[in-house]
Amino acid sequence: MLAALKSALATLEIPPEKVVISSGIGCSSNLPGYIRAYGHHGLHGRPLPVAIGIKLANPELVVIVTAGDGDEYGIGFNHVVHAARRNHDVKLIVMNNEVYGLTTGQASPTSKVGQKTKSTPDGSFIYPLNPLSTLLGAGATFVARGFSGDPKHLSFLIQEAIKHRGFALVDAISPCVTWHDIYDEVRQRMYKLEDSGHDPSDLLSAIKRANEIEKIPLGIFYRTEERPSFEELVSQEIGREPPVQAVKRLSEQQIKSVMAQFY
Amino acid sequence: MSKDLNNSDLTVRLGAAAGDGIQSAGEIVTKVFSRSGLYVSTYNGNQSVIRGGHVWFHIHAGESRVYSLGYGIDFLVALTQQAYDEHYQNVNEGGAIVYDSSTVKAHDAPVGVNLVDAPLVKTALKYDKRPIMKNTVAIGVIAGLMGLDFKVVGDVIGEQFARKPDVQKLNVEAARDGYEFSKKFGVLKSLHYDYSVKRPFMHADYALALGAVAAGCRFYAAYPMSPASPILHWMAANSKKLGIRVFLGEDEISVVNATIGASFAGARAMCGTSGGGFSLMQEAIGQAAMTETPLVVVDVMRAGPSTGLPTKTAQGDLNMVLGISHDDFPRVIIAPRSPQDAFYTAPRAFNLAEKYQLPVIILLDFAIGDGGYATVENLDFNVPIERGKIVFEAGSDMHNGVWFRRYKLTEDGVSPRTLPGTPNLTFVAKTDEHDEWGHDLSDVLAGLKEAVRMRELQHEKRMKKLESVAKEMRLPELYGPERADLTIVTWGSSALPVREALPKLWEKGYKVNSLEFQDLFPLRKEVESMLKEANDLMDVEANYTAQFAKLIRRETGVLIQKRYLKYNGEPIYPIEVVKSVEAVFNEKEVKQYAKS
Repeated sequence: MLAALKSALATLEIPPEKVVISSGIGCSSNLPGYIRAYGHHGLHGRPLPVAIGIKLANPELVVIVTAGDGDEYGIGFNHVVHAARRNHDVKLIVMNNEVYGLTTGQASPTSKVGQKTKSTPDGSFIYPLNPLSTLLGAGATFVARGFSGDPKHLSFLIQEAIKHRGFALVDAISPCVTWHDIYDEVRQRMYKLEDSGHDPSDLLSAIKRANEIEKIPLGIFYRTEERPSFEELVSQEIGREPPVQAVKRLSEQQIKSVMAQFY
Repeated sequence: MSKDLNNSDLTVRLGAAAGDGIQSAGEIVTKVFSRSGLYVSTYNGNQSVIRGGHVWFHIHAGESRVYSLGYGIDFLVALTQQAYDEHYQNVNEGGAIVYDSSTVKAHDAPVGVNLVDAPLVKTALKYDKRPIMKNTVAIGVIAGLMGLDFKVVGDVIGEQFARKPDVQKLNVEAARDGYEFSKKFGVLKSLHYDYSVKRPFMHADYALALGAVAAGCRFYAAYPMSPASPILHWMAANSKKLGIRVFLGEDEISVVNATIGASFAGARAMCGTSGGGFSLMQEAIGQAAMTETPLVVVDVMRAGPSTGLPTKTAQGDLNMVLGISHDDFPRVIIAPRSPQDAFYTAPRAFNLAEKYQLPVIILLDFAIGDGGYATVENLDFNVPIERGKIVFEAGSDMHNGVWFRRYKLTEDGVSPRTLPGTPNLTFVAKTDEHDEWGHDLSDVLAGLKEAVRMRELQHEKRMKKLESVAKEMRLPELYGPERADLTIVTWGSSALPVREALPKLWEKGYKVNSLEFQDLFPLRKEVESMLKEANDLMDVEANYTAQFAKLIRRETGVLIQKRYLKYNGEPIYPIEVVKSVEAVFNEKEVKQYAKS
């Protein structure tokens, strides 16, 4: 995953100082310390709102969130749904390992029925969250799935996500070799959407693919650029300099106009 | 005239059911006073209902500066029976109750109070099928009784209804009818009106928003919550004009994290909420302290706990903000006393947050926030903007030429920061304990000698900022004579009724002064000696456990045992301070309001 992100940023020739990586807490979230870019290693589940604040304050930056399934599909899922709905121009890469790894292996929101973990010693009896179809339902404009075992393909997906107009989810299957090693299983069941004739502009087909159980489709499920990003809409509306450049006093005219409201 | 009042001020209370337009009527009267050269202070006794119930609006106006809600009521407008029953006992001698006997039964009026039975409903029905303009008629009546020039009244009403041209003129006419009617009673109490002087007024929510943008804040985030929402509304209404990014998050957790993100990126960013929302922000406030990201958060307090009384006031969140989030970290707590203070608090909060890279918490409350307007004078927009140590050039402070030494150990505990986008100064803001370059101490280094020492040094570095910032904290302001038999200690909005009580106490011969605190934490060292010099101390604040008195005890060892505490959701009135001080001097038990 780290290699895929590095190669994506290098391929797109984005200078390190223009990149901010916001991460949560978990095995996945130490990532910013291993890549030359600005980073914010924040709280469990909250890297997305931090990223939104960064992007709104300085739209010049490329803002990427790297986090785990606990961060994004568990404690912080509320933020994911709303970030997708509002189409913020931040890129969410979820290293999904279907388990709480750092805390020594409890069932996560994406753990499968029957999966044995420390919190489900007899196997989980709860149906997992399907993040892809849920986000398609929430109005996400870019939904993709990659696999850490195929860094080249994952890098391609990340590049497409970064280039996308607005919010992008890349669900990156990243098996935990200690608590839930499913590398072989994924390799056996996966196939590439781009080899299957799937049309990523077709929402219904994307939802159908996202709900496949037997096989694990990888690639871009859905992409539309018809909706402007939140930041585009805000700058159209406000049309002023971003907050990061606006730390200065009000002009005489602005003072007059605001004070007129109070007489 | 009124025995209880000096003749340079007056009070008006309008009472009705929610939906009767009392807020709008209160604003009209406040505006009329403000355009007649008077100073105002108001309180909005509203409820969490859209229609029905009982709401009221209190206005205190004076020829010189007024601070709080004055003494009693000179003019009561009772549009409903409940309004009459709730408030008639507080009407001053020489004052008047304006009501309509077709809907309200007057009874037991206090001695010397004029009962003004006005045809409010009948007059209103002249202009509309429903008597919706009865409040406007009543405004006309009291304007006449106060001897105001109708032109100002008509102008203000005209402006208030500018967006509804079909009823604009009718409302002015309805008020004129009320004004004409009042002539039967003559002028009951009037002040010196100077129509050439217009004084601006606002509540502290707006004043704080204004102060924030004056200081360069162009990012505001919030989730709707009374009584903090007016900050959001003002920012949104002015967002195009001033270029403010307003972010309405999905919850307060999102709100505070986005604010931290914006600040990390280099903006001056602020978020606001009330107690419940602030509770949700806890963890992230500790995050800002750990990553040393400047953060300004506003808590407009309401009575709690939990949902509590959403439209009622309290100063009960001090303990929460003192202890917010786990383990020790430096924070600054400021409680402006008034809208005027709130305007200047915002730039100070940003300067302190950025210079010391820590969370600054501003405590407002409903009484001066959403709930109370006050005159503001000569706001100086030329506020200082001090951003602290920010570097834009790569120096020698780099690890492997890649990582900026963001958490450098320094004398004052403050390390230079840089902003994302700056070439060759990349770093990672860390919520894990870290070394000077932002490398984790929590993983493979945890427990190793070097890491243990670095944890000590980083923790000490952060905590040292408390000592550094304390030097910039302000001492309490002394009101009254330098030496007194009793010194009242008070903070935030409670300072205002205390200030208004002092002259009354001096009149009665009591030697009293007050220390008004705005900067609550950290306290300056000198506070201890100031308190120890006092002959006797009394604490006035709006919570059950005397939270500030206990903070003083903790920080200075000074125990304040005499207390007037109010926790029933209503604002403190000057008369209550007078009575409780009298009780102290007469060695009687102070009657706490809620037990009276």
